[in-house]
Formats: sequence, C-alpha cells, structure tokens
Amino acid sequence: MTAHLELSDVSASFNGFKAVNGLSLKVEKGELRCLIGPNGAGKTTALDLICGKTVPSGGSIRFKGIELGRHDDYQIARSGVGRKFQVPSVFRQLTVRENLEVAYCKRNGVLANLLRWAHSADSDGLDKLAEFVGLSDQLNVPAAHLSHGQTQWLEIALLLAQDAELILLDEPTAGMTVQETQKTADICNRLKGKHTIIVVEHDMGFVKAIGDIISVMHQGKLLAEGPVAEIENNPKVKQVYLGSVGISGA
Amino acid sequence: MMSKRTMRQVFVYGAVCLAIFLLPMLINDDFLLNRFARYLVLAMVSMALALSWGYAGILNLGQAMSFGLGSYCMAMALKLRTIPVHTGSEGLPDFMVWNNVEALPWFWKPFYSMPFAIAAGIIGPMIVSAILAWFMFRGRVTGVYVAIITLATLVVVNLVIIDQQWATGGFNGITDLAQLELFGITFDAYSATTYYLIAICLTVCLFLALAVTKSKAGLILQAIRDQEDRVRFFGYDVALFKTMVFCISAGIAGLAGMLYTIVMEFASPTFLGVQLSLSIVIWCAVGGRQSLVGALLGAILVAGMQGALSESEVFLDTWTLVMGALFVLVVLFLPNGIASLGEKLTEKFGGRRATPEPAKRGNSIARSTKLAEGK
Amino acid sequence: MEFLFEQFITGLSIGSILLIVALGLSIIYGSMGVINMAHGEFIMLGAYGAWALKAYAGISLFPSLIIIFIATALLGALIERGVIRYLYRRPIDTILATWGIGVMLQQLVRLTAGGELRYVEMPPSLAATVDIFGVDVSAYRVFIIIAGAALFAATWMLVNKTTVGMQLRAVVQDRSIATAFGINASTIYTGTFAYGAGLAGLAGALVAPLKSVSPEMGTGYVVDAFFVVVLGGVQSLFGTVASSVLLGQLSGVLAYWQNDTVAKALVLVGIVILIRFRPQGLFVTRVRT
Repeated sequence: MTAHLELSDVSASFNGFKAVNGLSLKVEKGELRCLIGPNGAGKTTALDLICGKTVPSGGSIRFKGIELGRHDDYQIARSGVGRKFQVPSVFRQLTVRENLEVAYCKRNGVLANLLRWAHSADSDGLDKLAEFVGLSDQLNVPAAHLSHGQTQWLEIALLLAQDAELILLDEPTAGMTVQETQKTADICNRLKGKHTIIVVEHDMGFVKAIGDIISVMHQGKLLAEGPVAEIENNPKVKQVYLGSVGISGA
Repeated sequence: MMSKRTMRQVFVYGAVCLAIFLLPMLINDDFLLNRFARYLVLAMVSMALALSWGYAGILNLGQAMSFGLGSYCMAMALKLRTIPVHTGSEGLPDFMVWNNVEALPWFWKPFYSMPFAIAAGIIGPMIVSAILAWFMFRGRVTGVYVAIITLATLVVVNLVIIDQQWATGGFNGITDLAQLELFGITFDAYSATTYYLIAICLTVCLFLALAVTKSKAGLILQAIRDQEDRVRFFGYDVALFKTMVFCISAGIAGLAGMLYTIVMEFASPTFLGVQLSLSIVIWCAVGGRQSLVGALLGAILVAGMQGALSESEVFLDTWTLVMGALFVLVVLFLPNGIASLGEKLTEKFGGRRATPEPAKRGNSIARSTKLAEGK
Repeated sequence: MEFLFEQFITGLSIGSILLIVALGLSIIYGSMGVINMAHGEFIMLGAYGAWALKAYAGISLFPSLIIIFIATALLGALIERGVIRYLYRRPIDTILATWGIGVMLQQLVRLTAGGELRYVEMPPSLAATVDIFGVDVSAYRVFIIIAGAALFAATWMLVNKTTVGMQLRAVVQDRSIATAFGINASTIYTGTFAYGAGLAGLAGALVAPLKSVSPEMGTGYVVDAFFVVVLGGVQSLFGTVASSVLLGQLSGVLAYWQNDTVAKALVLVGIVILIRFRPQGLFVTRVRT
C-alpha cells in the first residue's frame, strides 16, 4: 500500500544553494502532518516542490502513486493539491463572492467556463462557506478592502471551496489573534480524515492543538519524525532549536 | 440570474448602441456619415483591446496587427473584383503588373471567393494570434514583456508587408477597390447602408464581449489579471484562458479591419503601423480599459476630436501636443479612464446610494457621446 | 583578415553607440523598474541641444556636452517629480505616461525648431581618419568608442563605489527597508532618473554628428536601447556592455549580408525569441525568488 503523498530523496537548488537536500517524507491519506523547523530549514520550499511552484532538481514526488515532478503546477492542482501561501494571496479586485467562485473549480476547461454564467455556481454552498469563516456581510466587498485577518480567512475559505484532496497550509495562523488561531485549529481538526493536510507552522501551541505526527526539518533534510511528546523530548531537535531560538519561540 | 450590476451594464450598453443606430437620422451629410462609420470601426478595435487588456491584463501593443490583417483580407477580395486599370495577363491587380509579376500568387487565388475572404479576415488574425499567444503564455511571459513581444511582432509583420511589394502593394497598400456586394446589397463607403453594417457588427461584438466578461471564464480572467499564479494553483490552465481571450480580441479586431477597408476604400501598411497600434492603447486608456463601452466611447471621443481639430489650421500642430498631455493626465489621475469618471460622478450626485441609479449613469455617458458627436 | 578587422571595427563602433544610447535607459529601468519610453526624446533633445548651441551661441560640441548633460538631467528631474513618482506602483502605466511625454517633447521640438533635418558639425580636431592596423577609421568613431567606455566606467563607479550608489542599490533591493534606515528614497529616485536622462542627452549630442537630427530620430534609438537592455539583463551594467557589443557586431554582419528591412526583422524576431526563453537576459544567472 503506497502512501497518499510520498517524497523520496527530493532536492531543490537555487544557484547551487540547496534549499531542500534529500528530503524524504510519507503522508498517509486523511492524515494531518505538521512540518516544523528553524528558519531556512526548507519548509516552504518543500511545499513549493509538492505543488509545482518549484521544479525539483532531483528525487521523486508521488501523489496517489503518480509522479508529480513532470507536471505543470496547474496540472498538479487539478490532480487534487491545494495550497495556501505564506503571504495571503487573494484576488484583490474581485469581491469575496467572486473569489470563492473562482476557487470553486469543479470544471477547469476554457470552453466549459466560457459557456457558463459567472454567478451560476453552487450559490448556497459558497454562501455557507462565507458564513463559516465569518464573511457573510462582506460577500460583495472587493477583497482589497478586507483586513489582514479577514484576508487570511478568505484564503482558507478559498481552499475549502476548492475542496482539494491534499491541502498545503503555509503558516495559516500568522498574524492571527489567539481566538482566531483557535478557530483555525478547529477547522483543521474538522478537515482531518476527509483531506490529507500538511501544515507548516511556527506556533507550537497551534501545532499541539492539531498535530498527530510532526516532521522536523533542518538544513533541507528530515531531522526527526514522531508524535508531539516524542519530538519535544528529542535531543537532536532540542539542539537544533537551541542553536537558533528554542522550539516554542521559533 | 442577472445581478443588478449586470442589468445596469446591459442597459447602458443598449443605450449606447441605440444612440449609434439613431445617429444617421440626424445627419444628412454622406461625408460626415462616412467619418462616423470610421470612428465606429476604430471603437470596435479599442473595445477588443479592453477585453484583453482590461479584463485579462494582457497589454497587447500589437492590436493593429489583427486589424491590418483583416483589412488586407478584405482589400485582396475587393481588388480581385475591380477591372484593373492596367490589365496584365489574367487580369492581375495593377500593382502586380507594375512589379512584373507574371501570375497571381497562390495565396491570392482563394480571395476570389468572398465568403472565404470574410472567414479569412476573422479566422486568419485569430490563428496568428493563437500561435503568438501560445508562444508567449506557455512560456509564462507576462506584463511588460508581453507588450514588447506584441509590439515587435507587429513591426515584423509590417516590415514584411512593406518589403514584399509584389504581393502586397508595399508602401502604397492596395488601392482602387471595388465596392463590397453581399446578398445583392452594395456597400458604398459613403452611404447609410455601410454605416448600419458597421453598427450591427459593433453591437454584436460588444454584446459578445460583454457575455465573455460575464461568463465564469471572464471571472477567471479577472482573477488572472489580479494574481496569475494563484489561479494556477486552483487548477486552471492560465495560458489557455489567456490565449482564448487574446484570440477573441484578435477576431473582433480582424472584423473591424475588414470594415475599415470598406469605409476607407483601400488598405495600407499604416493600418498595421505602430502609430495606430499605440493610438488604440490611448483610446482604450482614455475611455477606460476596464470598461468595454468606456473603451468604445474613448475611441469615438479621441478619434473624433482628432478629426475635428486637425481640420482647422491652428490646431493641426498643437493637436499632438494636446493629445500627449491628455494622455499623461488620464494615466495620472484617471487610471480607469472616463468610464470611472462617470461612475465617480454618479456616486457624488447620487448621494450615498450603494448602487448608482442606472438612468443617471446612462445619462452621463449619453452626454459624453453627444460631446463626441457634436464636434 | 583585414576585411574581418574592418567588420569588427564597424561592429564595435555600432556597439559603442548602442552602449551610450542604452546606458541611461538601463540605469533607469534596472534600478527603478520604469521603462522610459521618452528616452528616445531625451536623446533627440540632446542632439538638438548640440545643434542649437552651435547655431545660436557658437559653442562647439565639446563644451556644449556639459550644458546638455545638465539641461536634460534637470528636465528628467522635473518629469520624475511631476509624473513618474506617482506611478511607481503601476509599472505598465509608466510606459504609457512616458510615451505621452515623449509625444509632447517631439511635438514641442517640431513646433519650435521645425520638422526639417538638421546637421551637427563634427569637431574639426576629429574630422580626420586614423590608421589602426592598416584600416582607416574615422577619428570621431574612435572617439565614440572611447567615450562609451568612459561613460560606462563612470556609471559603474557611481553605482558601485560611491555612497549614493550604495544607497541606490539599497533602495532597489527594498525601498521600505532602505527608507527605514534613513535613506531618502525619493531623492535617490529623482537623482537616478535625472542621471539617466542626462546620459540620454549626452548620447544624443555625441551621435548627432554621425546622423541627421530630426524630431523623430528618438523612436529608433529607444527601440535599440531597449533591446540592448533586455538582451543584457535588467540590473546588470556589464550585461548592457556585453549585449551592446554583441548587437553591434550582429547588426554589422546582418547589414552586410542582407538588406536593411530583413536585417531589422531578423533582429526583432531574435529579440522575441530571447524574451520568451530567457526573460532575465543573456548575461544574468538565475536567482531565488
């Protein structure tokens, strides 16, 4: 039985600098995996490699048994990989509703979309999503007018609308208040089981609230892997973090 | 179901088209009518550019290429219908006789058929644009580089057409054309018939383009304009969407080019010149790149002013100066053109109503049309 | 052999003109991200400056270079303050606005100096030809080659060896952080634009004796200059030099081998293909984004 997502010996280099160097990682279907590590460990690059933003210079990435390395980013997305970026990226000139409609992409073809009116998508479902992330009142507001927190929520709603099998979250709680972080953790826990999720996060409280198994990256490689309690007491991990900031403050 | 905004747009667009259709009743002068017909054709290209530039963020500085190709297709067909002044063997076009061409080149021959010529005038530019778009967008060329590539392509095509004088008439273009005859109707350049033909084409294209922007694809295009990379991670093939809108825009420009040949009664390399191509960008920017009808009115307004001012001796020289200044001011203060001015005005005078009244908006635009027509 | 050398000198001479013409554009585009479509008109103004100073004030080419540099730089500063600075967030719009400015400058010159061709005299001291390895070369062309090298060296020193240059590089990297460290980014930008405009003016004055001067002369130059910058890679002064020389040699060869139109079309096609496959330019290596 192959894993849902399997990275084996993956590398990425920029001008000789190896951001990811021989990373191997296995994530089972329905699992929520947290990816932590000090700054520059290659966490974001690892997500970039999976979703096709960065082309690997070596190794293989298999999703549902299919090799992703040879596909374009939009093809990878079609195969069921969704991504939330570190810097919130939504369509600022479009309204919240229109944003959700773009994300709701059951059919990707040009012709199919040309012969369909923009506002005919599953309206109820999208309205519910907006309600879920607390943006019901902002449905017709351009995304540019949203606050930073609201933008984060919108992007999470976009991911939910996209309904991807594998969801990659890059620091979903950056800039959020404690309550908002809690709510994000709730969402993650609800998605667990239905979707396979990889979360890159610095906030250890958040990681403890959602994570089963944690993978620790260091210098582009996998350093340790295991349940939260085990990782916290791992001497190698401690050393890496003490070398920089310490695991809770990173 | 139509949203309020869409209803308002359809209303305004309909009003503008209606005004265009009613115009000949106010004008008795064939010469003036011909000139307005010309402006309408230019408005069509400007509108086509707004579709790709305003909605998908593709700044096509070579829009005149499609326009010119369309116009040459029509000119070739009409040339073959004239009785040449200097008859060579097999009734060759006059400029070929002057260039010592023995037989009609193979690519001229299908143009004996008018349906072929019309199809070629629309599909030809679309195919050329599709190849160019595929070449650019597959390689993820964006922003300024798209502008450069399209401009460079335009210059290359222009150079080739001027260079291959034996087949294209070179600098002089293709002149002394017959009048178009379709379904027993003769389209004299200086007649209301031709004006209505253009008005119909314009209306159809305008609403076709509006439909594109209102489709889900239109929404995705706007998302691409905002954040191209993000759209890709939802699984859309961005290059394909951009190619699609680039081609539709080219098809409309090609049709406009054909109509231009009918109105002007010749085709010339200036129809796909850099000057015209940049002018299209100006019309579009002045009118409002994110509004189809704005771009359309922008072309009528600016081209109309140009036509009126360059007639009087005093303004002939200063016109270019005024035009440059106007353009800089619009870019600085009205990045979304006159169309956004209309919206701002309705907001100001319409009080704090969330949705501006459609009638008001219609009026303000009708007024600016009047301004264009009055000159 | 002699023929090859002659070709080489011709190419080098074209290349040095390209370099002089492109340097101003390169520094403005590379550091500010502004494509200055009015660049050609600054060149044209420089050429007219050389002509007017000679015709009306009797000042010969060399002393007038200084006046022209200062005058076009001031004009550049004015335009940056008046227009460009409001458009830094809208790079595409800077193309449109500077193009509009270019149209105005062109028409202003046409209205004041007239549309007819003007000619600028070569300085008498450089009117002769010199013998280099058995090939007769116009002394003025040699002077242009030297001037190109000198202008490049000065610009390189300015960017890489002075405090102002360092501040400029900091602003280019990250404007807000540079500002937070007390660098006056807006002055730096004004200065950069002015310097670029001044270089364009100098370029116009320097090429004026080789070509006829007309209000439209800038259009061709801006296209050439732009291609040099794209080919060399934005933000790379050495790339600009390398591509000037390369393009110079290439046009020398093409002009010998084909007619002008075909040569022009071929160069354009080459540029299009280059942008498609190496938008970062020929001489720049890939960096992490």
